[in-house]
Amino acid sequence: MSDFWVLFAKELKNLLRDKKLIFGLVIVPLLIYPALGKGMGIGIEKARGETHVAIANFDSGDYGSLLIRALNSSPNVTVTLVEAGDVEAALERASSLKQNVLVVIPPGFSESIAENRSATVYVYGIFSSLGTGMKESVSEGRINAIIQALSRGIAEIKVKKLGFSEPSALLSPIQARSLSYVRGRLVNVSPSVVSAILASQSVTLPIVVFLMVTLTAQIAAGAIASEKENKTLETLLTLPVKRTTIVASKIGGTAVMGLIAALTYTFGMRSYIGSSFGGSNVSLGDLGIRITPQGILLFGVVVFLTVAFALSLAMLLAIFSEDVQSANTVVSSVILPLAFPSFILMYTDLSSLPKAAAYALLSDPFTHPIVAYQWMLAGEYARIAWSIGYLSVAALVLLYLTARAFSGEKILTAKMGWGRRRR
Amino acid sequence: MEVPAVRVEGLEKDYGKVRALKGISFQIGEGEIFGLIGPNGAGKSTTLKILATLLRPTAGKAEVFGRDVVEEAGKVREMISYLPEEAGAYKNLTGREYLEFMAKLYAKGGRDADEMLELGVELSGLGERLDDKVSTYSKGMTRRLLLARALMVKPKLAILDEPASGLDIINAYTIRKTIKALSASEGVTFLISSHNMLEVEYLCHRVALISGGRIVEVGTPAELKERYEAENLEEVFMRAVGLEGGQK
Ligand SMILES: Nc1ncnc2c1ncn2[C@@H]1O[C@H](COP(=O)(O)OP(=O)(O)OP(=O)(O)O)[C@@H](O)[C@H]1O
Ligand SMILES: [Mg+2]
Repeated sequence: MSDFWVLFAKELKNLLRDKKLIFGLVIVPLLIYPALGKGMGIGIEKARGETHVAIANFDSGDYGSLLIRALNSSPNVTVTLVEAGDVEAALERASSLKQNVLVVIPPGFSESIAENRSATVYVYGIFSSLGTGMKESVSEGRINAIIQALSRGIAEIKVKKLGFSEPSALLSPIQARSLSYVRGRLVNVSPSVVSAILASQSVTLPIVVFLMVTLTAQIAAGAIASEKENKTLETLLTLPVKRTTIVASKIGGTAVMGLIAALTYTFGMRSYIGSSFGGSNVSLGDLGIRITPQGILLFGVVVFLTVAFALSLAMLLAIFSEDVQSANTVVSSVILPLAFPSFILMYTDLSSLPKAAAYALLSDPFTHPIVAYQWMLAGEYARIAWSIGYLSVAALVLLYLTARAFSGEKILTAKMGWGRRRR
Repeated sequence: MEVPAVRVEGLEKDYGKVRALKGISFQIGEGEIFGLIGPNGAGKSTTLKILATLLRPTAGKAEVFGRDVVEEAGKVREMISYLPEEAGAYKNLTGREYLEFMAKLYAKGGRDADEMLELGVELSGLGERLDDKVSTYSKGMTRRLLLARALMVKPKLAILDEPASGLDIINAYTIRKTIKALSASEGVTFLISSHNMLEVEYLCHRVALISGGRIVEVGTPAELKERYEAENLEEVFMRAVGLEGGQK
C-alpha cells in the first residue's frame, strides 16, 4: 500500500469511530429529519380527518333541511343536530359535544331563498384549545365548499326554471383554464403547481448545500486541530512521508465524510419535505425539463469543487488554531458568513438581480452549487463551465496555501486562541 | 573521514523575541548514545525539534548523516525516529492498530512491516491491552506505546525527548536496557534529553550540558565528574549551571 492509502485508511478509521460525528452524519439526517417530517405530516393528516359539525336549525322551510342533507351526505363530515333556544346556547352545546364547527341556519332562511333574496348561513369555528388551529380552518373550508356547492345547485335550478338550457354557462360566463409555458414549452400544468415544484427544489438545495459545506468544514478543521490537541502532530510530521501526502489523505478522508453527508442529508431532507408538505405527483420531466447525464456530471463537479474549497479553507484556518474548539469557532465565523448569501437565492433569481449584485453573489463560491443547479435545469452548460473554472482556481489557490502552511513550522508554533483567552 | 551521525554548528533559534538557542555546536558519532541535559527552558527540546525537521533554525547548521535538516528534510526523515516530549496516539485506534499504521509507513525498501510490528508489540509490553483503544490507556501505557513505535523501526538515529518521563521504575529500567541493546546490536545512534541523571549516567556514552541556550560542557560522564570533582552527574549539573559552589 502506498503512503497515501495507509494514511487515508487511518483517517477514515479515526473518523468513522467518532460517535459524535456519526450522530451528526447519520442519525440526525436519516432518523431525526424524517421523524420531524412525519410529526408534521401527522398533524396535517389529523386535521384532514373527520370534521364534526353541529347544526342548529332555526328555519322551518325545505331549504334548511336540504342543507342539512347535503352536509350529511358529504364525505369526512359527521353531522350532529343540536336543539337550542338561541345561538348562545347552541354554541355551548356544540362546544361541550367537542364539535369543530357549528352551522346556524337562521329563521326565515328558506323564505328568503324562495323569494329570490340572498339568505345567510352562519358558520362558527369552535376553538376548544389554542393549538395549531389547523383543524378548525380545514373544517371551515370544508363547510364553505359544501355551502358553495349547494348554493350553486339551487341557483342552477332557479335559472333552469327561467327557461335557460345551460344554467352553468349563465352563472359562470367566464371560465379560466391555466397552463404554463416553461422555457419555450407549453405544458398542461397550472402555474401554481409549477411554482410549487420549483419552490420545493429551491428550498431543499440551499439547505443541503449549507449543511454539507459547514459539516465538512468542521470535520476538516477537526482533522487538523485534533492532531494538535491529542499531540500526535509532531510525530506525524517527522514520519518518512511527504507533507503533501498527509494533507491529501486528510482531504480524502474528509471528502468521504462530506459525500456521506451529502447523501444522508439529501435523503433526509427529501423525506422531511416529502412527508410534511405532501409530494406533488408532477415531476420535472412533466414540465419538459430534461436532466442529462452531462448536466448531472457538470453539477457534480461544481458541488465537489465547492466542498474542496470549504475543506481547504477550514484546514488552513485550523493550522493556525490551538485546539479543536478554537478551530471550530474560527471556521464557523468564517464559513457561516460565506454560506449565508446562498440563501438569498431561495427567494430571488440571479437573473432578476442587478448585475453588480449578481456578480457579488457569484464571487462567493458557496452560491455556485445553487446557481449551477438552475443552469443545469436550463441546459446552460457553458455557464456551468465558467463556474467550474472559477471554483477550480479558488480551490487550487487555497489548497496551495494549505499545503504550504502545512510544510512550514507555523503549524507547530502558531497557537491562536482566536479570541479566546488563554488559560 | 567518516560522516558523523549528527553535526550541529552554531545553531540559533528565536521564537519571536525569545532566544531559545544562542549558537550551539556538537557532534555525535554513529552508534553513540548521546545525552542532552540541562535545566528547564535550557533549549533541549528546541534542539531536538530542529534535528527532527520540525523547526527551522534561525541561524547555523544541523545535519543528520551529512544531510541538512532544512534542505533535505525528506531524506533526514527517512533515517530518524522522533519521540516528542509530550505526545499522544490516535485515540480511536487500538494500540495494535497504531503500531501497524506506523510500521506500514516505515516499512520501505524491503523492510518488513510484520517484523517491525512484532518488535513493537514486544517493546510496548502492553500484552492484551494492545487490543484496547488508546483512549483507555494510562499516561505511562501511552508513553510505552509511543516508545515502542519509535524504537521498533530501528532508525539510524533515534531522537528521544525525555523518553522515560512518566514511566515507573520497572518500565524505565526495561527501556534503558532496550536502548542499550539496540545501540550495541543494531548500531542505532541515540540522541536523548533527560532530567534523570541516574539514567543519563547509566545510559549515555557522552553528555552535553546545555544552559540558557548554550552548551556549557561536553564529555563522557566520567570526564565530567573528574572535571568538576563531583561524585555524580547531579553534582556536575548543579556546579556547571552555577547553582552550587564547587572547585573549578
Ligand atoms: N513555541 C514556543 N514559543 C515561544 N517560546 C518557546 C516555544 N517553545 C519553547 N520556547 C522557549 O524556548 C526556550 C527553550 O525551550 P525548550 O522547550 O527547548 O526547553 P527545554 O530545555 O526542553 O526545557 P524542559 O526541560 O522544561 O523541557 C524556553 O525559554 C521556552 O520558553
Ligand atoms: Mg523539553
